[in-house]
Amino acid sequence: MSDSTGPKKQKRLNRREFLIVLGVGVAGLYAGVKLGAAPLRLRLVEWLEESGGPPSDINAPPDAWFEILPDNTVNLYLPKSEMGQGVHTSLAQIAAEELEIGLEQMQVLHADTDRLADPVATSASNTISGLYTPLLEVAATLRELLRLEAARQLNAQPTDLNLENGVFSLKSDPSQQRTYGELFQFAGDWELPENPPALKPPSQYRIIGQSLPRVDLPAKITGQAIFGFDVRVTGMLYGAVARPETIEGKLIRANPGQAASQPGVVKVIADRDFAGVVAESREQAYQALDKMELEWDAGRLWQQEEIEAMVSVGEGKGVVIQKEGNPRQALESGRLVEAEYRTPMAYHAYLEPLAAVADVRPDKTEVWASTQAANGLRGAVAKAIGQEEDQVTIHPVYLGGGFGRKIDERAAVEAARLSQAAGKPVQVAMNRPEDFRSGFVRPPTHNMLRASLSENGDILALDHQAASGEVAFPFLPGIMGTILGADFGAYRGATLIYAIPNIQTTAWLARLPVPTGWWRGLGLMANTFAIESFMDELAAAAEMDPLEFRLRHLPDDVKGQRMGTALQTAAEQARWGAALPDGHALGLAMGYDVGTITVEIAEVSVENGQIRVHKVTAVADPGLAINPDGVKAQTEGCITMGISATLLEEVLVKDGALQASNFNQYPLLRNSAAPDIEVLVLSSSATPSGMGEPPIGPIPAAVANAVFAATGQRLRRLPLKFA
Amino acid sequence: MQLMVNGQPYLVDDEPDRLLLWVLRDELGLTGTKFGCGIGLCGSCTVHLDGIPTRACITLLSAADGKEVRTLEGLAEIGANGEMIFHPVQQAFLDEQVPQCSWCMSGQMMTAAALLEKNPKPNAEEIRQAMDAVYCRCGTYHRIRKAVARAAELAGQSRSQLA
Repeated sequence: MSDSTGPKKQKRLNRREFLIVLGVGVAGLYAGVKLGAAPLRLRLVEWLEESGGPPSDINAPPDAWFEILPDNTVNLYLPKSEMGQGVHTSLAQIAAEELEIGLEQMQVLHADTDRLADPVATSASNTISGLYTPLLEVAATLRELLRLEAARQLNAQPTDLNLENGVFSLKSDPSQQRTYGELFQFAGDWELPENPPALKPPSQYRIIGQSLPRVDLPAKITGQAIFGFDVRVTGMLYGAVARPETIEGKLIRANPGQAASQPGVVKVIADRDFAGVVAESREQAYQALDKMELEWDAGRLWQQEEIEAMVSVGEGKGVVIQKEGNPRQALESGRLVEAEYRTPMAYHAYLEPLAAVADVRPDKTEVWASTQAANGLRGAVAKAIGQEEDQVTIHPVYLGGGFGRKIDERAAVEAARLSQAAGKPVQVAMNRPEDFRSGFVRPPTHNMLRASLSENGDILALDHQAASGEVAFPFLPGIMGTILGADFGAYRGATLIYAIPNIQTTAWLARLPVPTGWWRGLGLMANTFAIESFMDELAAAAEMDPLEFRLRHLPDDVKGQRMGTALQTAAEQARWGAALPDGHALGLAMGYDVGTITVEIAEVSVENGQIRVHKVTAVADPGLAINPDGVKAQTEGCITMGISATLLEEVLVKDGALQASNFNQYPLLRNSAAPDIEVLVLSSSATPSGMGEPPIGPIPAAVANAVFAATGQRLRRLPLKFA
Repeated sequence: MQLMVNGQPYLVDDEPDRLLLWVLRDELGLTGTKFGCGIGLCGSCTVHLDGIPTRACITLLSAADGKEVRTLEGLAEIGANGEMIFHPVQQAFLDEQVPQCSWCMSGQMMTAAALLEKNPKPNAEEIRQAMDAVYCRCGTYHRIRKAVARAAELAGQSRSQLA
């Protein structure tokens, strides 16, 4: 790999990786900036390669990010999915900053896979941290190439030019101007600099760091935005696909039965492993599907207790992922405190079920889908219909929520199989029970913590054992799991961030009959729930204030200083220690994830066993906040979704199937139960880090700790319930 | 039958027992109204029938016969020069930067618009109760409440300007 050495995140592009490909686009001239995928190659992929895994697809077709139009506006094509997290706005701010244009001059578009092939998914809060420097460098380079061309045309030196909103003018005669749009047609003669130009210091940013309005909202509030479920293609038909009732269910025999003679039916597919109907309307497709004769092997009829027993500390193989000092010995001195915590399986419950449209033709296939992983989807579709990957184009569209599950390839793969059979474009858009019962869920977890306390309230040693169902392993190729040992998705958030002289963290992993995988934050929420509840228990055992107890265990470094500032800012804002209405109490928790620190303080009351969260005060420190209001929105969203998970959500297995299939059996938090939220953003000139997931970590413990403060009862299992 | 949607008459030859949601989305191409659960619980599919917030996913086409259907696409007005004039609810949702993924927002905004028709000056508790009808998984509830209060203010301002 060309970039296997050197620092990962702040990498500079060299000429080889930074080819400008020129050509004529549909809407005008465009600069295709080939990023060579190197800077796009985010943590997971780098890490797969370092571990000796298969090389990722880095020689994708020319990567064209920018298209400059004659009217001096710029199209920015992004390989990252907009699923509500606001990355299209923050990435546009980054690009506009070094391109020296206003955000209103830029149109942000989802790139299809012919234009940009992002080798990893939009996931793990890695978009901003991964693209920040590369996007600044590409934009700055493009700007300087345009400046050289302007100087040539105006017979001037580059330093003789002013630049404002994409217009160069002579300092000596401002009437002499050239716009980006005018200059761009001369792009063919340009020579790339050996290195990208120097980037602005953050103190000079005018667009980054501003709470600019989101670029996707005007289309969203008028109903014009197109999501996966909304795509309409001329001649499109509707598909319905047979799905098993049980987790292990397999189709063993399919017969069209009376399906083909039902009204509106165009095609019935009864393959060995796949049965479905294509019809003129959605309802006709589903009605005809009911007339097929299908025989299923239900598989083993698993029960909830069996699943839960598999996820237990001590079951299977334990891998030590953090060790400092001699925890075994140190645990024997001092006062021992022990506790264990559990979280259940949970559903993603985005409100747009999985949906896609496929138009399969003999030589070329197009797919429109709400997907977090367009590049992976291209391969899956190609394989399913027997075409080459370069014959398949994925058009990503807006996602009605994703939360990790919209890497699920089924809707698109099924639409492609049905389209291939019918010879027409076909939509597969799931009903809620199909989406609910047939995909992967958040794995259950079991955490055991043991610590010894000194007489003056210092933690002498802490042993954390975290057991989980799989998160990342099911999605890694072949032997990767064996090489890695521990599932990085499951143990996300499990390592201890406090200064404790003797520490050991062990990850235990179980492969369950229920498919499990990514859910917002991966293992972060479960592990932070355990650790931050336990910190509260230790504070109580040491008879210390939970804030004070955390402050005295912060590491003596920059991260520890940031944590301390975040804790104290949150405490001050929430009036920690001040009098509250009768029956109300505060609970505190902190998290550190992907470089972002979050502190959350929940104000809770308990009446007749009902927990009510009245208010949450949060502090988020993502380093540099590209869009502070976006940081706030993600913090609010994580807190609200996290409270839903804390108080309500639990997927249970009964007789081999997921018990719930819709929101009547799996209610989500509603507006009247959602607290007011106040978020303070601490922004610095540090490298920006992700915000889509970190704030979901602390909220369950903040609520549980407040419940303890209000009632004296310690709840150690999600969803929080009184026995 | 003739279906009135956003002031436009549409001739539809669908079965009267088809669900209004799929007629709107799949026959008329009005995909601003979203599907979420199919059992009338999540509120993503909320439209107005004669001004009353109604779950299109469990409403038969026949129930819309002779009624005025309003969807998100019909919330804004078109000005004299063809420009779009946002409904106060749309303006307020934009001002407060409410939507994230926005799949539920059609249902949120239609619910809010119906509330303000009925009750132009709702108090905080009335807003909470009315907006309880629609799920938001991205977790924008707190901003929704702020935006509905702001929409009531905006609507009040424009009424007083007209008066």
